[in-house]
Amino acid sequence: MSELSSADHSTTHSRPAARIPAMVMIASVWIGLLLIVVIFADLLTPHDVMRSDLRARLQPPLLFGGTWAHPLGTDELGRDMFSRLLISIRVSMLVAFAGTVIGAVLGTLLGMLAAARGGFTDDVIMMLVDVQAALPFIILALAVIAFLGGGLTLFVIVVGLYGWERYARIARGLTLAAREDGYAVATANLGAGAVRIYLVHILPNIISALVVAFTVNFPETMLLETSLSFLGLGIQPPSTSLGTMLGDGRDYLTTAWWIAVAPGIVIALTGIAVSVIGDWLRDLFDPSATGAVGGR
Amino acid sequence: MIGFVVGKLFRAVMALLILVTLTFVVLRSAGDPADTFLPPNATQLEVDNFRAAWGLDRPLSVQLGAYLGNIARGDLGRSFQDGRPVTVVIGERIPATLTLLGLAFLVMIALGIPLGVLAALNHGTLIDRAIMVISVIGYSLPNFFLGVLLILVFAVNLRWLPSTGNSSAAALIMPVITIGTTSSAIITRFVRAAVLDVLARPHVRAARARGLRALPVITGHVLPNAAIPTVTLIGFLLGGLVAGGVITETVFAWPGIGRLTVTAAANRDLAVVQGIVLLIGASMVIANLTVDLLYGWLDPRIRIGGRER
Repeated sequence: MSELSSADHSTTHSRPAARIPAMVMIASVWIGLLLIVVIFADLLTPHDVMRSDLRARLQPPLLFGGTWAHPLGTDELGRDMFSRLLISIRVSMLVAFAGTVIGAVLGTLLGMLAAARGGFTDDVIMMLVDVQAALPFIILALAVIAFLGGGLTLFVIVVGLYGWERYARIARGLTLAAREDGYAVATANLGAGAVRIYLVHILPNIISALVVAFTVNFPETMLLETSLSFLGLGIQPPSTSLGTMLGDGRDYLTTAWWIAVAPGIVIALTGIAVSVIGDWLRDLFDPSATGAVGGR
Repeated sequence: MIGFVVGKLFRAVMALLILVTLTFVVLRSAGDPADTFLPPNATQLEVDNFRAAWGLDRPLSVQLGAYLGNIARGDLGRSFQDGRPVTVVIGERIPATLTLLGLAFLVMIALGIPLGVLAALNHGTLIDRAIMVISVIGYSLPNFFLGVLLILVFAVNLRWLPSTGNSSAAALIMPVITIGTTSSAIITRFVRAAVLDVLARPHVRAARARGLRALPVITGHVLPNAAIPTVTLIGFLLGGLVAGGVITETVFAWPGIGRLTVTAAANRDLAVVQGIVLLIGASMVIANLTVDLLYGWLDPRIRIGGRER
């Protein structure tokens, strides 16, 4: 029903953004909750995440025979799963956000540079784009992290390198088109410098497509982080991320399924929420795409 | 057409060269393998001997040159771990991965394309919406979580399937489903959009207006045209399939390339990791090249008049 009304609204264009589909609302609420967790995780955790209680090991969650003391149960060391989940959400979201921002900034700058300079610079950057697109990035990330060690800074940088080529392609294409537009030509004729034209005038005009790319990239970056952490190559204990938790839980599937399931559900729901919002944003920014790719 | 192919080939080879060089430089500068593979109390002489034996004492550029020369002769070096040739170490894992990814690919196509077409033909109905909701969920469910869930349900609780290993054909079922279903979600979305796009074109409307029955219009006009963008997407998806394979093979302890990647990286086995990067990079480049050529075959406009656009 909400889908129908959104379809009506996107075809008539009568009142843009007047009605937000129910799915998008729900997705936004979920993302809002995550943001609250990211900011206030320390205040929200009922237990110390590091404190183990060997008398309360592997306790089931609330509806499966557990108690309110540990609503999501405990892990193999008796640590409170709810508290660990909150901290993991914070770590995963922050790494994914930082990673996505790094990729977006790097890709956008390189894409605009390619468009601005043309010639050899353009060729080199586009060749790098091809290389990046030709290889499943996780394999390179695995190798680099395994060889260079597991520091958080390196990890964030590696995660950040994922997906930069997408922004580069978009930014390059849009910049090439925008440069011919009246406003860009006009500012150039008024004597504005190249940096000013590209960053102050062209960038704001192409940013909406980049924002949509950001929403596509964010869940994928989160997946990369959780995958690497799941494989034991990302966030290292005693710190924890959703992937680290899931990886730990894999060893206890027969006795304590909740250790793996709780972080897995959070990852899946977050991915769904960002996808739903991303689709909606794309329809909003690019009404011509609704017929072709506007599927929900 | 020949110029088109040669141009593509040149770019592909250049991309591979950059890829190999980048990995070589990054991984070699990451630390001395002698530290990893010799005991901590090794004497300087032992370290020197180790480095000389593996050619690590030479300048990086010389090592890179030798490495590239060896690749040209089909020699990828030897595993630091057990001294066997990298081609053998990787080669013995290829059948397991090809079986897994091949079947997953079939599942992806067999599931993704019909669902996409079905959704498009029932555009806006409950069927359409249900398929799209399922595909968003499939798209957002990480491989490792779906794998863990399947193990939980079918191996731990129901005890129908073995959770790990490759002892029986049944062991293939869960990994294939894991990779196949998550990838098919993307295909479904894309095929739906492609079919909707074609359905709106004048020639399809004309065919319908002429009174052609629905099925001939779909098989004769809609599907061939929707196939063109889909083929390109499938080329792109192969990379996702391989990446999904790394995780899924690890979850199910499937003895393929993906698991080898994780263990070799964890053991800092330089030569093996580089070999895998090269192998996968080359496969991806070949896949993309094939897609480009298929594209030309499916769409005569590209074959004949590509330059005039």
